[in-house]
Amino acid sequence: MTTSGISRRGALRMFGIGALGLAGAGVLSACAPSGAGSTTNGGDPKSKDFDFSSWSLNEEAAKPSIEKIIAAWEKSQNSKIRAVSYPYNEYLSQLTLKLGGGETTGAVHLDIAWLAAMAQMGKLADLGPVAGKGGYTDVALNSGTYDGTQYGLPWNTGSIGVIANSKLLAKAGIKEHPTTVEEFEAALRELKGLGGGVVPYAAATKVAQLKDIFPWMQTFGCKLLDNGKVTIGDDASIDAVTWYKKLHDEKLIAADVDRFDARALFGQGKAAFYDDAIIGKGVTSAQSKDKTLADAMQPMERPVLKAGDTPQALLWGGVIAIVKGKGQDAATEFALHTTTDLATTSRYFTERALPPSTTAGLAAPEVAKDTFSMEWTSKITKTATGSPFWQFAQNSQIEEAVAKQVQAVLVGTAKPKDAMKQAGEEVAAFIKR
Amino acid sequence: MTSTTSTPLSAVDRPRSSATRAGGSTRRRMRKDLLRSRIAAWSAVVVIGAFGLLPVYWLLATALSTPESTFQFPPKLIPTDLTLDNFTALADNDQLIKYMVNSLIVASITAVLSVVVATYMGYSFSKFRYRGRRSLMHLVLASQMFPQALLLVTLYTVFSSFGMLNTYTALVLSFTTFTMPLCVWMLKGIFDTIPDALLEAASIDGASRWRTLHSIVAPLAAPGMVAAGLFAFVRGWNDFIFALTLADKEKQTLPPGLVSTYIGEFQTSWPQLMAASLVVSIPVVVAFMFLQRYLVGGMTAGSVKS
Repeated sequence: MTTSGISRRGALRMFGIGALGLAGAGVLSACAPSGAGSTTNGGDPKSKDFDFSSWSLNEEAAKPSIEKIIAAWEKSQNSKIRAVSYPYNEYLSQLTLKLGGGETTGAVHLDIAWLAAMAQMGKLADLGPVAGKGGYTDVALNSGTYDGTQYGLPWNTGSIGVIANSKLLAKAGIKEHPTTVEEFEAALRELKGLGGGVVPYAAATKVAQLKDIFPWMQTFGCKLLDNGKVTIGDDASIDAVTWYKKLHDEKLIAADVDRFDARALFGQGKAAFYDDAIIGKGVTSAQSKDKTLADAMQPMERPVLKAGDTPQALLWGGVIAIVKGKGQDAATEFALHTTTDLATTSRYFTERALPPSTTAGLAAPEVAKDTFSMEWTSKITKTATGSPFWQFAQNSQIEEAVAKQVQAVLVGTAKPKDAMKQAGEEVAAFIKR
Repeated sequence: MTSTTSTPLSAVDRPRSSATRAGGSTRRRMRKDLLRSRIAAWSAVVVIGAFGLLPVYWLLATALSTPESTFQFPPKLIPTDLTLDNFTALADNDQLIKYMVNSLIVASITAVLSVVVATYMGYSFSKFRYRGRRSLMHLVLASQMFPQALLLVTLYTVFSSFGMLNTYTALVLSFTTFTMPLCVWMLKGIFDTIPDALLEAASIDGASRWRTLHSIVAPLAAPGMVAAGLFAFVRGWNDFIFALTLADKEKQTLPPGLVSTYIGEFQTSWPQLMAASLVVSIPVVVAFMFLQRYLVGGMTAGSVKS
């Protein structure tokens, strides 16, 4: 049956033309110039050529330094490294897809928070035999380990801690960094007294960065995860969130602050403390109009609940992992060289202010004379630990679930006890999946 | 009578004057209502306009700001330190130009391919009745309903198997998966509005089916085809995740290119990103300016002999 007097055969022909057109166009557009094509990771492990994936290869501040390292290696080894990069926020998902699809070879730069998720895919090489040759610090080596196996060679090891503005502290008459929660609270009140819109502690209060609450929970004695059991919801976590809420209500911390806002506030001299990674000094001072701010920035040990406790900080840094298969051996040598060669790590530190991961690297004159970095390493990184939730692929959902509950407490729609109980249950559910 | 006459007169008079007064107050009320509704309408226009234009204003203001003033807290609605540096920096960035060329190539081929394929398929769905037609139509529409992430993983696997990753082909075909179904349905709707009598008349006049489609139907459906093409072009131009996943730096398009260039782990170059976003939106704006006349107007007016 047709309308317009056209037969079924004609109709199907029209539909067929459409479908063929789609396929044909695929062939036609294939005539357009193509890229390098795909690679697989099942190739020769002895190959001198390999890929190096790093989000930093996109970034203006890091790209030239890394390209120098790559160029020097290519020249000395007569090999070819293909630089691969994805934006930081997309890096993990892209790398997961491409590693799973066999499109990633060689060396991959990983945030230490992602190591576990990548290692669980079973495609990363065990670097235990070479890690011993590197002279890495214990904290650094630990950052590249998952489930007892060394999957990453530590490139830069630092932590996320508290940065203080010594100028504001001096203005408020605070001569020494507060060491206990009680002293910290008193200092915040002194700073609040300065007026002028000062936010004493630009702590995270937006969901995006409220994972910063974890070190405070640990400060109050919550282990977060104990022998596989989620402890969020215990008295310590409730105390921590109750305290955070108190700071919020007394306007000692401000509403709606994330890392970017905190840097902006600190950069304008309107915040005396905020949480950031070691690289925060360079980032925050660069976007501040106050060109003397960098000199006023000081790393501060996170206050403890009672004197003698260990200050809490989140380990932070990058490792280089190696994908089994094509170029594995050369990529391993490249990773070892990049992370341990003294001249290379010193130059990289000078250009990026990221602390090396080896004992020799930290003792190098270029590094040793940088007071901020050395103090950071000795005060904050020394006792920093990784998050127990990094081992789970659902880490970001876990952090978000807790952050949402903490935010509910801050805005007054939930009680700390109920919110933490709820958070604990949600985290436990994620872990079971 | 007099009284009868006078009564009605006065009765008429009185109501008349009260009617006049009532009429006057009604008119005043109507004028007030009109004024009120105009104020309400204009207020709505201003609010909606501000809602729509504020992001564009903010884009422009940030593009013209220095990095230091961009990070002012609380932010200022009217920037003070204006600069053109962010725009001049773009001209020196060869990689951005490459991303733009890639976007133009890929989005244009996607648009043409989507329209060509959708024309035949839409025509087939609209003008012919055959077994499985409805199922095919729904199958085409169903492909639009898959989550993009699911399509992405599938396409990635397929392209990887065929060694087609990092090619324009992969990008064009992947973009077409989400532009074509809607184009087919858009064009089917347009073909439905073209009277069958016109096709029968063409047939009686001796036109072949092929000629009927290309010489009679296609010109009438041209505005719809342009609209579908623009839709496909914009979707292809704006896609981020397919372009990021299926292509490397050499073949990537603007959205992933801009993110890669300006958004970093610790810092985002907002002023430069906004300047680049402003510049790269120009081709789409120009395309709309030139083609918008095809988007309006009656398509079949005067096409059937009376």
